[in-house]
Amino acid sequence: MNHPTRYASLLGACAALILACPARAQAPAPAPDLSPRIAKAAARIAGISQQADRIGDYNELRNLQQIYGYYTDKALWDQVVDLFADDGSIELGLNGVYAGKANIRKYLYSLTGGKPGLGKGQLNNHFQLSPVITIASDGQSAKARWRTMIQDGVYGAGSGGNWGAGTYENEYVKQGGVWKLRTVHLYVKFYAPYEGGWTRASETDSLRYGKSSVKPTHPTTVAYHPYPAEFTAPFHYDNPAQSAYHLLPAPVAPPAATAAKTVADLEAQVRALELKLERLKATDEVENLENTYGFYADKSMQDAISALFTDNATLEILGRGVFIGRDRIYEYMRRLGAPTFGTLFNHMQMQPVIDVAADGNSAKIRSRLVVMYGLYEKAAQWGDGIYENVYVKDNGVWKYQNLLGYQTFYTNYNEGWGKHSSAMFSPFPGYPPDLPQSVAYDPYPAPFIPPFHYVNPVTGK
Amino acid sequence: MLPGHAAAGGPNVTAGDTARMKPSTHWLASLVAALLAPALAHASDPVVTDSRVINEDRRLAILETKLAALQLQLAALEDTKSIERLQQAYGYYVSAGNAHEAAALFSEEPGASLEYAQSGVFLGRRRIEQFLAAGGASLRPGEIRETPVYQGVVHVAADGRTAKGRWRSLVMGGVHGEDGRWTEGPYENEYVKENGVWRIRTLHWYTTVSGSYAQGWHKLAYPVQGPLANLPPDRPPTQVYQSFPNFFLPPYHYFNPITGKPVGWDY
Repeated sequence: MNHPTRYASLLGACAALILACPARAQAPAPAPDLSPRIAKAAARIAGISQQADRIGDYNELRNLQQIYGYYTDKALWDQVVDLFADDGSIELGLNGVYAGKANIRKYLYSLTGGKPGLGKGQLNNHFQLSPVITIASDGQSAKARWRTMIQDGVYGAGSGGNWGAGTYENEYVKQGGVWKLRTVHLYVKFYAPYEGGWTRASETDSLRYGKSSVKPTHPTTVAYHPYPAEFTAPFHYDNPAQSAYHLLPAPVAPPAATAAKTVADLEAQVRALELKLERLKATDEVENLENTYGFYADKSMQDAISALFTDNATLEILGRGVFIGRDRIYEYMRRLGAPTFGTLFNHMQMQPVIDVAADGNSAKIRSRLVVMYGLYEKAAQWGDGIYENVYVKDNGVWKYQNLLGYQTFYTNYNEGWGKHSSAMFSPFPGYPPDLPQSVAYDPYPAPFIPPFHYVNPVTGK
Repeated sequence: MLPGHAAAGGPNVTAGDTARMKPSTHWLASLVAALLAPALAHASDPVVTDSRVINEDRRLAILETKLAALQLQLAALEDTKSIERLQQAYGYYVSAGNAHEAAALFSEEPGASLEYAQSGVFLGRRRIEQFLAAGGASLRPGEIRETPVYQGVVHVAADGRTAKGRWRSLVMGGVHGEDGRWTEGPYENEYVKENGVWRIRTLHWYTTVSGSYAQGWHKLAYPVQGPLANLPPDRPPTQVYQSFPNFFLPPYHYFNPITGKPVGWDY
């Protein structure tokens, strides 16, 4: 429709309206009373907001337990203790309960020679995996089941380190709007010397875990025998497919003081709510992206991986140096070659601690990489690393802005990390990076702590 | 842009807009806009943002629409968490050797299915439980099956009634006193919401590698587990493949999230 015709028809409509409603044209009817609709919308905003907070609780609880794992990795015991409520307690294996922050600290220190931190040659990797989180209906406490896999040991001593596995059944409490650990209880399944592994380990081997000369506050709460005895840690939850449990509570009426009175109030509240939900959705989308990267890396999907990065992204893995821009990242990935018969390149992504920026447009992650490498009949390796990555929302789609993968260790399967750890992987021969390695460090057995992007979630420090 | 808006000479008027309007229509449009502003606010043009045109009633209607959309977004977030809980519960029941509870996580639809490695497809909750009790989730004396599940990529369908998830598990297995075993591979599962409760509709676990603990997967790699001797499946495997040292790409349920294209070595 061209413009003159359009205006002519509008003018016609105008004339028709004026003719049809002369009263309205002269004295407009009073505006309808919107207050019932405003009140209804205000209640709905409050309801969605309360429920969204419960999703936020879930994400915070996940982060809290995984942060506990990353601090434990490095025996940062003061940071671990700060994650507990004042009446918190810890029970690892069959070593009794240590209650109260002072006792928890004393106990944890005793696990690393009476002081926090790892010395040269010490490894204390403590993966946090597989959460089943149940939040109480009032949103003030929660329980969760988690798994751990443990890789620890002292370089040059023992049979190549230890593998451990177990199940946590923990309790959490929200105090002053912050989630804290209240009861940490690890049921140790096995703790086995690397040489021989769990099927050759004895109960005595497993009872080594968490043993201390510090006297516990209370005796062991649940008596059991680790593997090979048959024992399953008690479940705090009913079968989720048969249970009435729902994460989101029924919304309750908002306090009158915060209820919107005008449409402008409502608009401001809806804008805030939209951002809140965007940020919660970002957590899931970033986790999907990180995990997708891992599934593509498994299979050397060079095109698919490089497409996950922004035009000017950076990628830095081990000591290979910094590669800038999607095209250079593609070339980097090309160095890894195509998968063929006899190669295994598993890049397993674990333990994502995700923090989304206040504006919802960027996010950071700390996550754990475990590599299973194989060259049929020739070689196998375990590799272990930490990612500190940055993501941005680019036209509504999450992409990698910076990928930084720190080398914890790479070891030959036959030896284990306690006997062999590769030197820092250097730049590809004949293929220099755009910038040299950004952070100088040595991998295990040196006790390097990859910087954390986050502060302690309880103390804020 | 509404003609009235452009003609009002606001900052959004471009040279092109003005040039296309004849001077005679310029003032006419202004007049029409001024006269019709209240009436136009009831028209169903969704791009109106002019505060002289949009009234409180309409602003409220827009908010009500937005709240309906936010309610759906919230539901999708809850769905993702519920599916994580469901999937993780499965792994714990399998580790516990509890076939009954593991099977109770599945949909009651007759089409619910479980496919483990190359054991074939078991249909319906009863047959799923039979399979799990016969091997998938039962433990012989001294047997261990620590099977942490992680690396989820979960997508909930737009209607919120179904979902798909890729996950993986690294399994520490074996029988005490014998050689242990490392096994690893991805899940590609489907979920369905039944009466407000998420259940597993299709569970499909692929083996990437299975190898001897003592010798390593590079020296002694086991073939993918085939059908159980005493419990033939309802259907043969949906895909025939071999694990390491062979290369196999279990298909992704999702396209590349940036390019929107399928990903694979075969495309």
